[in-house]
Amino acid sequence: MKVRREQKIVRTKRQQGRTGTPVRAMPKPDLGHSLIPKERYTCRDYAAREWEKMWTKVWLLGCREDDIPNPGDHIVTEIGPESILLVRQTDTSVKAFHNVCVHRGNRLVHSLHRPQEDAKSFRCRYHSWTYGLDGRFADIPDLDTFPQGAPHCGGLKSMPCDSWGSFVWFSLNHDVEPLRDYLDIIPRHLDPYHFERMVPTRQVTVEWDCNWKASVDAFNESYHVQGIHPQLLYYLDDLDIQIDCYEKHNRYLIAFGVLSPRVISPSEIPPPIKHVMRGAGMDPASYEGSVYDIRSEVQKHKRAHGAEQGKDYSGLNNDQLTDDYHYMIFPNVTLNIHADDMMLFRQRPHPDDPNKMFFDYYMFELPDNEFDRGEYERPQHRQYRHGETSLGLVINQDAYNLPFVQKGMNSAGYDGLWLGDQELRIRHFHKTLEIYLEQ
Amino acid sequence: MDLNLRGKNVLITGSTQGIGRRVANLFAEEGANVAICSRSPESVRKAVKEIALLADGHVTGAPCNIKNKEDYEAWIDDMSEELGGVDIFVPNVSAGAGMDSEKNWWKNFEIDVLGTVRGVEAVIPLMEQRGGGSIVMISTTAAIETFMVPQAYNAMKAALITYAKQLSQAHGDRGIRVNSVSPGPIHFDGGAWDMIRISNERFYQKTEKTHALGRLGTPEEVARAVVFLASEGASWITGVNLVVDGGYTKRVQF
Repeated sequence: MKVRREQKIVRTKRQQGRTGTPVRAMPKPDLGHSLIPKERYTCRDYAAREWEKMWTKVWLLGCREDDIPNPGDHIVTEIGPESILLVRQTDTSVKAFHNVCVHRGNRLVHSLHRPQEDAKSFRCRYHSWTYGLDGRFADIPDLDTFPQGAPHCGGLKSMPCDSWGSFVWFSLNHDVEPLRDYLDIIPRHLDPYHFERMVPTRQVTVEWDCNWKASVDAFNESYHVQGIHPQLLYYLDDLDIQIDCYEKHNRYLIAFGVLSPRVISPSEIPPPIKHVMRGAGMDPASYEGSVYDIRSEVQKHKRAHGAEQGKDYSGLNNDQLTDDYHYMIFPNVTLNIHADDMMLFRQRPHPDDPNKMFFDYYMFELPDNEFDRGEYERPQHRQYRHGETSLGLVINQDAYNLPFVQKGMNSAGYDGLWLGDQELRIRHFHKTLEIYLEQ
Repeated sequence: MDLNLRGKNVLITGSTQGIGRRVANLFAEEGANVAICSRSPESVRKAVKEIALLADGHVTGAPCNIKNKEDYEAWIDDMSEELGGVDIFVPNVSAGAGMDSEKNWWKNFEIDVLGTVRGVEAVIPLMEQRGGGSIVMISTTAAIETFMVPQAYNAMKAALITYAKQLSQAHGDRGIRVNSVSPGPIHFDGGAWDMIRISNERFYQKTEKTHALGRLGTPEEVARAVVFLASEGASWITGVNLVVDGGYTKRVQF
């Protein structure tokens, strides 16, 4: 779609205070222009290498801290073929265990993704082997019938586990670097949002018929907005985007509440921009200015009225009050971060089919004055097959398309990803992945 | 057929883009003297310059906020003085659609309704001085058939049709004709239907099929109807509401 106007997004030059999110643009890395081979998306051998060299080496997002607030609370998450049991300890720390009874291999806790409250211990339903919250054996029935005694491991196999940003993280790698080192710039960039103040409003997993990286890619570039999400051309600037690549992780900053330079403003304020105004507490009908000034007017309005609405924006710069600060935490966490909400995607590989994946969708919102904690109900996690539930128009548009991308990638007529500058984050993601796979 | 517009003085409000702009262009092409306005001085300057390229007659304009009564009346006086009187008046400016709050009602009332009423009251004496004149109001098919949602735009635009009819009876004896034009969905770059075409293509295509003529209208097609009704070509037409919609609405007009 042709560019119909010239537009330069005005971005804040300074971070908010000493601890604000850095805003400086990173130098553009030279990542070459070579084709990304399609086999990375379709080939079982490549998926097996990913498991061996990457998934079992990195830190992975497990759950929200407030999924398991009290001692004994626990939740099971999965990555590839592994099931992980995350347990809140009596000392308020969280431990991560392989969710498997070391006796005959039964899954210890059978529920998945749904927080369970207040366990005193974990009893395997097969032979009643029982483990304490700390994973150690609490009871092995008829222990005297085991001449060799109890297994020498002493209980469940644990793994590194730590917390950051209201989330619990785990790693299948016993020699993994500390979480903070792995996350690198992420805490410094995202702590100002105070994710712990946000409440979950939806938690859904959908099995998608595509490779997990096809999903990561779909959210790592805005080049597809004109094709897949034309309605967003009346909501954001899909061309003037600041892309920043760090060591493993990357981000882009997209101005919201503006029109794409591919479209011309109609005389009425476009409905998606009205939505932004209403979200800030402004009445679009009372707005007399130009549609091109709305982004900065919304920023000013939120700055002036946030506190009285019960929202503390003091740690955020003005751009963060409207724009999408979009982060990718390697390998599989995509964050659409706004002052008032966050949409988090966790992309998980299918245990044995590179043509399938699990798309975890988590929505969080910042409560305002009118939020009633008594009325609030934590959303129950739900799992669906592709197409069984709506994730909102934008994600539905991506979800509809991705199985066709995966089918096409398996075609003899396709060689691989031919990427342009707007898709730089995809290249950077692949570079990081390759570094893991070559180790 | 000669529309006999050469040398006629035409005032059009809200005329730097969209339908209003095409109306101004066409009057200019037909040799009329044209005065335009919008809120932005820059767009007025630019539009005057562009329209002048099409014109034989005089083209002028000035920024004006129609909501401000004095500002609006001063614009009419200034334009009338510069052109040497008023023969034709097209109150075109609109607050547009929207159902955000009660404010939409006030805006459509102030801009669509009062923006027409105040203009009419100011130009009628000027037309009387010249022995007659012609007024064409811009309504919408959303005024004559239910459309999208209940909103101020539809209801306030409906008021203009009734007002035009009453005026045609009241001022006919002084040679002043009053008509209205009700366009259906019109597509042009930067218009509401351009946004719908881009952001919701299926709805746009469905709307195209709803038209007997199978497409959306152009602002030029509306402008031709407005200019015709305003001209002496329509000398025996007054008090009508001309629906210009390619067969979008389905009612029978008796």
